[in-house]
Amino acid sequence: MALLQISEPGGKPAKPAHRLAVGIDLGTTNSLVSASCGGKVEVLTDEQGRALLPSVVQYRAGQQPLVGSDAKQAAIEDPANTIISAKRLLGHSLDELKNSHQFRQYQFDDSRGDGSPAIMTAAGSKDPVEVSADILRRLGDIAEARLKGTLEGVVITVPAYFNDAQRQQTKDAAKLAGLEVLRLLNEPTAAAVAYGLDSQDQGNIIVFDLGGGTFDVSLLSLTKGVFEVLATGGDTNLGGDDFDQILVAHLASQAGLTAELSNQEHGELLRLANAARHSLSEQDRVEVSFRGQTLTVDAGEFAALSKDLVARTINTCRRVIRDAGLDKSEIDNIVMVGGATRMPVLRAAVAEFFGREPLTDIDPDKVVAIGAGIQADVLIGNKSPDSFLLLDVNPLSLGIETMGELVEKIIPRNTTIPVARAQEFTTFKDGQTAMSLHVVQGERELVKDCRSLARFELRDIPPMVAGAAKIRVTFQVDADGLLSVTAEELSTGKLAEIQVKPSYGLGSEDIEQMLKASQDHAEEDMKIRALVEAQVEARQLVDAIRAAEAQDGELLDQEERAALDKAVAELEQAIDSGDRNAIHEQSEALNRLSGQFAARRMDLHISRALRGERIEEVESSKE
Amino acid sequence: MQGNRQNFFQLFDLNQSFDVDVDKLGDRYRQLQSESHPDRFAGAEESERLKAVQFTSLINEAYNTLKQPLARAAYLLQLHGEDTEQVSQADLGMELLMEQMQLRESLDELPGDESALPRLEELKAEVQEKFAARQQQFATALEAGEVQAAKKVFHEMQFLHKLLKEIDQGEEQRLGY
Repeated sequence: MALLQISEPGGKPAKPAHRLAVGIDLGTTNSLVSASCGGKVEVLTDEQGRALLPSVVQYRAGQQPLVGSDAKQAAIEDPANTIISAKRLLGHSLDELKNSHQFRQYQFDDSRGDGSPAIMTAAGSKDPVEVSADILRRLGDIAEARLKGTLEGVVITVPAYFNDAQRQQTKDAAKLAGLEVLRLLNEPTAAAVAYGLDSQDQGNIIVFDLGGGTFDVSLLSLTKGVFEVLATGGDTNLGGDDFDQILVAHLASQAGLTAELSNQEHGELLRLANAARHSLSEQDRVEVSFRGQTLTVDAGEFAALSKDLVARTINTCRRVIRDAGLDKSEIDNIVMVGGATRMPVLRAAVAEFFGREPLTDIDPDKVVAIGAGIQADVLIGNKSPDSFLLLDVNPLSLGIETMGELVEKIIPRNTTIPVARAQEFTTFKDGQTAMSLHVVQGERELVKDCRSLARFELRDIPPMVAGAAKIRVTFQVDADGLLSVTAEELSTGKLAEIQVKPSYGLGSEDIEQMLKASQDHAEEDMKIRALVEAQVEARQLVDAIRAAEAQDGELLDQEERAALDKAVAELEQAIDSGDRNAIHEQSEALNRLSGQFAARRMDLHISRALRGERIEEVESSKE
Repeated sequence: MQGNRQNFFQLFDLNQSFDVDVDKLGDRYRQLQSESHPDRFAGAEESERLKAVQFTSLINEAYNTLKQPLARAAYLLQLHGEDTEQVSQADLGMELLMEQMQLRESLDELPGDESALPRLEELKAEVQEKFAARQQQFATALEAGEVQAAKKVFHEMQFLHKLLKEIDQGEEQRLGY
């Protein structure tokens, strides 16, 4: 903590006149913008009165890009130049996406050389940051037209599970669009704010967010205007789309289609299924006509079909409540987010599990944007700053690579941000003058199973014996969830610093898989960790003995030296064998054998030092 | 430059003691956050904002330390100049080791399916009770200035805490999370 120069922040900034700030829900499918209008935050509509802006951009040669509904229309005739779901590309590298089935309609630009998944269009190649910027620019224009003024700041929502790279790129997109970002806000937190402020509630809130393709649950506590995120969780392979798929199967069997569906059959049925699902939110029975046949589905059938999917959502709720250390009886409110939560089967299951009705007064498509608008209004200074405060958590553990490709976790997941944590590391070899630091994100024990965020080097460490240098590495995560890392050699004050800004990141599916894998592999990982640690220690011992032999070999007679070399060779064999017990035994043996030698060296160096001789520097051993 | 000279208890206006009023701790935490969170300085100079980030990081660290009994006990020992990372066999009585072995055995013997859940709940309650009793002992020892005795109890708390985590994991496995 000595590294941080800390002082109590000064007085509050002077209260300015009413300034324009908006909240933006930058969604995968649709985006919305909201602002405070006469004391109430509302979603702003475009010239034609539409609140939802499809997150679609069509690029045309020599013309401005087309954003929204018009671009969505174009997606059918001009798929190659029309970019949908750019949000799914954020934070990913070209290599990860090049061969993905999901993005097969695009031609990626290989010539950029920055690793970004830029798509070739009639208006040049466009990376996801540029596409997101075009959507944000359009939202900004809608807002300025409605509010008749210049925007001074925006709050943009991101999924709670967005990693460092995805957050950073969202911020970059805003900058590119000329918007000043006041804060990145997690979507579930925004939804809780939208409800929490009206009622001035105290208590614990579950945010149940079922999107088209992902499912997120967050648990927040609200006390005297302060929202604290207690735990988050999710299922990134579960969404409204899955409910459509089970209806497709149901309709196909009614239509007598037993073979695998053709692409066209599937497409037609999917459209019918989606429409039927929406209708089932309003009525008990739906008829659809498919190639001359009339197919039906009623609410009871749909409930039976979707039972497993619904059970999965409830199981995730259970898990999150447990992570927060609470009981479901302690949940005071349930907030429903996302169009798919309109389904009566879901609402009924949620009500039954929690023993209370979920909150549904605010349109589940708009609730996130409204929360962001409220936060924007507070941050720009239009509302009393004492009204409320949001305390978020980091979604994934942050750590650093140590010897043997192990991860030392520095900030565990679900830690409240901002947070700063420091950890001291030391050199591995005598005379080591540089240290390479590798920052990773994830829950697993081994570096290769986590996501690499950045690498940097601390140089000019004064040469010392292994283990003598003290390098303090400090991780700082700010309120937006963005990380910066500082390394300092404590005896010289030598500093190295990096703002972590990787060119690619993890998708939510990766995050979920990594979380799951970390649970599945916990035991195996610990075993590997113990072995690697033993190997690292044994190697250090071998290095130390070798260095001592090189320096003070004359203290050993031929026989002693042979015995020592034999023990070293045996330990090296044990290291390679990967047998932890053998490593342990051989290390002990070598330690016993070298004890006499160490004592003699000590005597020699003390007597030299007493005579005023300089102890020669230990040469660093070459690899 | 006030923050880094104060210890965590002073920062939260609390007496330096193991017995912490959790409600007061939470209230003071929210008050400190409300005053100094970076969101309060959204329009301010970069340097002001950085100060706010650093100060609230310290508040979060202090809150996390003080609200959890085990971390709070470790912190108190550190304030007394004790190294809580080092455990020697002598720090742990034979009695504790036997107790540990017994508890661990009963945990290992349980069937691997849901039928073990009621027994796990019982075990959990048993260990929680022990943990609570140790907290009391720790507070008493520290209050009496018996730092070494407190340190011994702290290591016992560490063991019990670890065991509680294992019971939790056992439950989660059987619940299919």
